[in-house]
Amino acid sequence: MRTLGSGDILFILLALRWTLLLSLAAFVGGSLGGLLVALMRSGTIKALRWIAFGYIKLFQGTPLLMQLFLAFFIPGIFGFNVDPWGAAALGLSLHASAFLGEIWRGAIETVPKGQWEASAALGLRYWRQMRLIVLPQALRVAIPPTVGFLVQLIKATSLASIIGFVEITRAAQVINNAVFQPFTIFGLVGLAYFVICWPLSAYSKRMEQRLALARR
Amino acid sequence: MNYVFEFSAVFEAWDELLAGLIRTVWLSGAAMAIGLVVAILGALGKTGGPRPLRWLIDAYIELIRNTPFLIQLFVIFFGLPAIGLRLEADQASLLALVVNVGAYGIEIIRAGIESIHHGQIEAGRALGLKNLQIFRLIVLKPALQAIYPSLTSQFILLMLNSSVCSAIAASELTGAANDIQARTFRSFEVYFVVTALYLVLSVMFWGIFAWIERSFLRQPAPR
Amino acid sequence: MTHRFTLTRRGIAALALGTTLGATLGAVPLPGLTRSAAATPEEIKSRGRIMVGVLTDYPPFGGTDSNQNPAGYDVDVARLLAKELGVELQLVPVTGPNRIPFLLTNKVDMLVATFGITEERSKQVLFSNPYSAFTTYILAPKSTAIKGPDDLKGVRVGVARASTQDSALVAVAPKETRIMRFDDDATTTQSIISGQVQAIGASSTVLAQLTQNYASLQIEPKFTLRAQANGMAFRKQDAALRDWSNGFIAKLVESGELNRIHETWFKAKMDPLPPMPQF
Repeated sequence: MRTLGSGDILFILLALRWTLLLSLAAFVGGSLGGLLVALMRSGTIKALRWIAFGYIKLFQGTPLLMQLFLAFFIPGIFGFNVDPWGAAALGLSLHASAFLGEIWRGAIETVPKGQWEASAALGLRYWRQMRLIVLPQALRVAIPPTVGFLVQLIKATSLASIIGFVEITRAAQVINNAVFQPFTIFGLVGLAYFVICWPLSAYSKRMEQRLALARR
Repeated sequence: MNYVFEFSAVFEAWDELLAGLIRTVWLSGAAMAIGLVVAILGALGKTGGPRPLRWLIDAYIELIRNTPFLIQLFVIFFGLPAIGLRLEADQASLLALVVNVGAYGIEIIRAGIESIHHGQIEAGRALGLKNLQIFRLIVLKPALQAIYPSLTSQFILLMLNSSVCSAIAASELTGAANDIQARTFRSFEVYFVVTALYLVLSVMFWGIFAWIERSFLRQPAPR
Repeated sequence: MTHRFTLTRRGIAALALGTTLGATLGAVPLPGLTRSAAATPEEIKSRGRIMVGVLTDYPPFGGTDSNQNPAGYDVDVARLLAKELGVELQLVPVTGPNRIPFLLTNKVDMLVATFGITEERSKQVLFSNPYSAFTTYILAPKSTAIKGPDDLKGVRVGVARASTQDSALVAVAPKETRIMRFDDDATTTQSIISGQVQAIGASSTVLAQLTQNYASLQIEPKFTLRAQANGMAFRKQDAALRDWSNGFIAKLVESGELNRIHETWFKAKMDPLPPMPQF
């Protein structure tokens, strides 16, 4: 039986870097996947649109807890060993792809149809239309909800603790099991999440308001 | 060969899963209804209340939106008894879900209220409508139409979030899955089936929400 | 039943089909795809590394030291085991509920994870002979009148999900008992401290923690749930590794090293290990 020492608090705070790293990995992975999903979903090929639709609904219609669990055990069944870090990064990336894909599809669709037609008239093909005309405009609209989702993603990494990935929530559990001061420990962890998430939320909100003003 | 699938253990516990499924529907349905009330009251307080109330509501929103649900759940279940309020696991889960969805709901509904132009409210006044009538006819219904998509997707998230309540021994679908898993050790099979059940629930809720929208919220067609 | 498939498109299709069939028919034993062979002492020696699953949330059997590395009775046993094999030890933290999935999906070669030997579990895994033991009790405040299982009617009792005290409690408790399952011992203990449950099923280690940190609650053992013998656990096909480990455990007992480990972590001499439970 140990007492809560500064080493333990340091351990919890250091585990925060795994929370951040996992969030970053999931966000990067989710951005790549999300872009693909958004392009498929807003494109003209019917089959791809339906595949992207099914993918989004699958991930928006099941609990993240289950997605992480399956991301962990399915590769193992096929004989591929993923460690908790790989599984959490994979599961959260797939999860984020669906949500970011849907957010970005919405953003792409805010670009008026006339712009597609005008740029087509200028002889631009799909990729250049996307890159030069549509995405820059969509990006502006997409930033606030994307940052908003990033906050969700950071909080969601707490569920990686259930598959044994030692991020801040799991670190807190491990320490709590040894020293037994749940309130101090979980209070501290809650505060740590707040300190990270709150500025992002505030930024997202301010951007959204600015955008709303610009549209008036 | 290293892994042998065996779904029979899962299907033998079918009644347990079904009971868990019903508890999940009940828990999330109740949380949606109560959460909606909290969100409406909060949004009214935030748009028209006195300043200290607005600050209080803001603090509540920021606190909830920027911390994980799991931590909120622990504080409610293990923290409240310290001040003399002991809630059953299911009650604590309901409270945590309401508190959580309320914070998101307020912001969604406030945005809806703010989407109504002042001119419309003034026009209502000019027509001699009472405050409550103005709220119901001019503010609420159009606002609901505007916010319906984000509100309902928040509700679906709530339902999926309720799976986390298994951590405090609430009797819902994930809890049932955990119990079956603990008994049979067929973790993958149990979670696979339960994931499918959640998907069925989501599809069901999507259907219900779409039906409500069609039946009650659609703008009358222009003649 | 040891078909081996290579990772081919047909294999994947067969698996997908099998999963669907399995889901519809109930039980279809299905050959999975794999790239790793059974873990034998020889195979482990040639790869030079053994992956052992240990608990990190169950001190002093499996906890963490002040540098947050896994530490405890199980970890010391695992270290000696790796040394005996002459291979590098890779400790993999597992939790109570995910111990068996980790083993069955090849994330570890074996478990040294305070894993109680039970009939139900031995349908899923192979157990070594006992290498540690403890007793679990129903614990409750002094003022709570519980003398035996019958007094648990209508009482809220917390246990760690998937633990042996969980199944032992289910076996003896009347059906009016309100069993509440939490993810681990810490959450279970928290539930009695906060008054969310009136009693818990837990070991003497938990009792010692409660007595030390929450003396005012006056928690005491009410009755014994079970005397638990813990074994190392292996996949069904890894009998060779199990047999080797049995020899290793006998050697540890013989040399007095197991007792030394026990004295390090429990500050007391080890009682003789219970015999292997027979089912």
